[in-house]
Amino acid sequence: MRVTLDLKDFVKYPFLKESQQFIGSYADSIEEFIQTNTGKIALRYALGRVRDALGDRENREKDSSSPGSDSFGVKQAVASYALARVLVSCQNDRSLIERLTRFEAQRAYSFLIDEEETKKEYIAWSVGIDIRNPEIPFIRYVETVSGLRDDRWRLVNREVRAGMVAVTHEEMDELVREQIRVLLTRQLPLKVPERICQLLQPALEQVTLVYQKQMLERFGTVEEDSFPPCIQAILMALTSGTNITHAGRFAVTAFLHNIGMDNNKIIELYCRAPDFDISKTMYQVEHISGRGGTEYTSPSCAAMRTNGLCVKRDALCEKVGHPLSYYKQKKRKGKPAPT
Amino acid sequence: MKAATLEFLKQRFTDYYQQEYLLVPPSLGQREWGFIFFDPDYPEIRMRRHIGFSGREELITYVRSMVPAHAYYSTAYYMTPGAPTMNEKKWLGADLIFDLDADHIVRGPYDLMLARIKEETQKLISMLTEEMGFDPGAISIVFSGGRGYHIHIRDISVRGWGSGERRELIDYVCGIGLDPALVLNHRTPSPRGWHQRYISSLTEYLQRLDAMDPGEAVRELSTLEGVGKVTAEEFYKKRRELMEKLKNSPERVNFRDHTIGKVLPALLEAKTGNFYALLLDKAARADEPVTTDIKRLIRMPSSLHGGSGLRVTPIGIREFPDFDPLTDAVVFGDRLIKTDVSMKLGMSLRGNHYQLEKGVNDVPEALAVFLCCRGIAEIAGGV
Ligand code: SF4
Repeated sequence: MRVTLDLKDFVKYPFLKESQQFIGSYADSIEEFIQTNTGKIALRYALGRVRDALGDRENREKDSSSPGSDSFGVKQAVASYALARVLVSCQNDRSLIERLTRFEAQRAYSFLIDEEETKKEYIAWSVGIDIRNPEIPFIRYVETVSGLRDDRWRLVNREVRAGMVAVTHEEMDELVREQIRVLLTRQLPLKVPERICQLLQPALEQVTLVYQKQMLERFGTVEEDSFPPCIQAILMALTSGTNITHAGRFAVTAFLHNIGMDNNKIIELYCRAPDFDISKTMYQVEHISGRGGTEYTSPSCAAMRTNGLCVKRDALCEKVGHPLSYYKQKKRKGKPAPT
Repeated sequence: MKAATLEFLKQRFTDYYQQEYLLVPPSLGQREWGFIFFDPDYPEIRMRRHIGFSGREELITYVRSMVPAHAYYSTAYYMTPGAPTMNEKKWLGADLIFDLDADHIVRGPYDLMLARIKEETQKLISMLTEEMGFDPGAISIVFSGGRGYHIHIRDISVRGWGSGERRELIDYVCGIGLDPALVLNHRTPSPRGWHQRYISSLTEYLQRLDAMDPGEAVRELSTLEGVGKVTAEEFYKKRRELMEKLKNSPERVNFRDHTIGKVLPALLEAKTGNFYALLLDKAARADEPVTTDIKRLIRMPSSLHGGSGLRVTPIGIREFPDFDPLTDAVVFGDRLIKTDVSMKLGMSLRGNHYQLEKGVNDVPEALAVFLCCRGIAEIAGGV
């Protein structure tokens, strides 16, 4: 497939090999590059990318300047993509990496949807998807969608025949976005020499700061005030790093899932537990939240009592038989009546 | 198990391993091995695992001298398969495995269970080849030696898959996560996929309802979660119209219609209900955890299953329809052995039917091995 890419395209799709070739020498020696003035500016943009990936709006204002559209600016922009990858690799935190790749994929997608057809075809093709066909090969399909949650992507709900899976034209863009995410995630973390991570220390500290703050803010938005005392107590213990029994973990996970918290957020919560093991936690969380076919409901007050998890009962507890009803009732009371 | 019985089995197994050609899996050096031996307290299970072999000779010498009751290797490939912990082994990939075990599907006489699971396996193979498009050459079918079959798929493109990707496949073959509204909406439905399987299960179910006494039908429908008497009655009235739509224009089944939108998902949710049973008949009921587990041990093809004395037998796809485990996986002979059977039983082996009384019987060696392995007989006289 032959398509002419221009400078703008390198900025839009920095992951393309053409884009990486374009910045050539910068990428060859990161160590030298980050000590030059150009490098320092690119690093600031890279930090901006990570901030965006974490959804940090406020601080974006400070360095909202963006690289110019001339050849020099484009090089900086593409280099900032590469440096952002280096930053999260030094941090080597799975969920931070996930955030960045999700962001990069979404960013590319936002350009892609308005792209002219041949260019779109080229971008899709370069990540391994032929969007001119109404179906894509079975293996590629499974690899692309296994991280998507929506039921409509499940293989079982698809037309599958002779090794091909039917995908509508409208769905192709989404599939390409997901494929970009899968590919970028697979590439990370990069093996960055310790020396370079040392040089990047000041930037890394900022990443940590923003990341922590985002985490805390997130917990605020779940109406944690309305959680029943038992769940609050377990969460408190979790966040302070105390070890929790399996029954306790199950109760919290099922509860958070039942009130609609997203799996990734639940997993983040567990990041603070002392024996945190990402793959095990993911398995448990996904299992409890129904990837195994059965969706679990959080245990009733009676079951909580049996497991010694019913603690700090309060007045509302007298009126409910289930931590979920506690949550619902309290939330309803907390909100002003609709007018 | 008596010492004489243990000794008898060990001798028979020794003979087998001395004489027969043993198959080794590809990339032998990257597999972890595990064995259970005829220890004095056998069949108490104690597995020795985390064993690695550098080559075919080393493995075969080991098996011939140790004579395991059960032999397994990892479906996974590891950098250091012999390392004592999973983390140190360094996972490199794994074969794709499906396990079909009659235990999860029917209870009953052994030959009946075997026949039933064979059907299930055939359904699975056709899904794998005709729907998913796996190359039949990359699929190997193995009789487990117990109550079912193992499917090994050694396709390099799926080797690196984690549990998530494998989950998509097992959910597909088992019909887990099916969404009626989505499958009915397929634009170019194939005659084989879930679109068709769902339509024919639902049609069959509606036909049954139609043949029932109306009061009975409504009662059955109102046992569904979230379906009251009124909704059940409404749905019952719509049964023929719905059958008609399923036949001619399934994409026009309207899920925004309160009754349809309530009852169809509820039918699917009722895992012990009549509709679900019809749907399951069309699924291939492989064991879920085996497929999603990327660090599992699986029986070595061409070894003997210590719980039956039958050979873990690889079968070519083309031979599969004619394969009869109670003949083709039997490796021992006809020499008569005095065997003390703990209950009255009937059993077919190699095309002969045996009717045994409780107590001492003269039975062919092959049957004696089978019964002793199953733990329902002991050796009576001298070996
Ligand atoms: S009564 Fe129920 S909601 Fe209240 S603390 Fe005990 S378990 Fe939690």
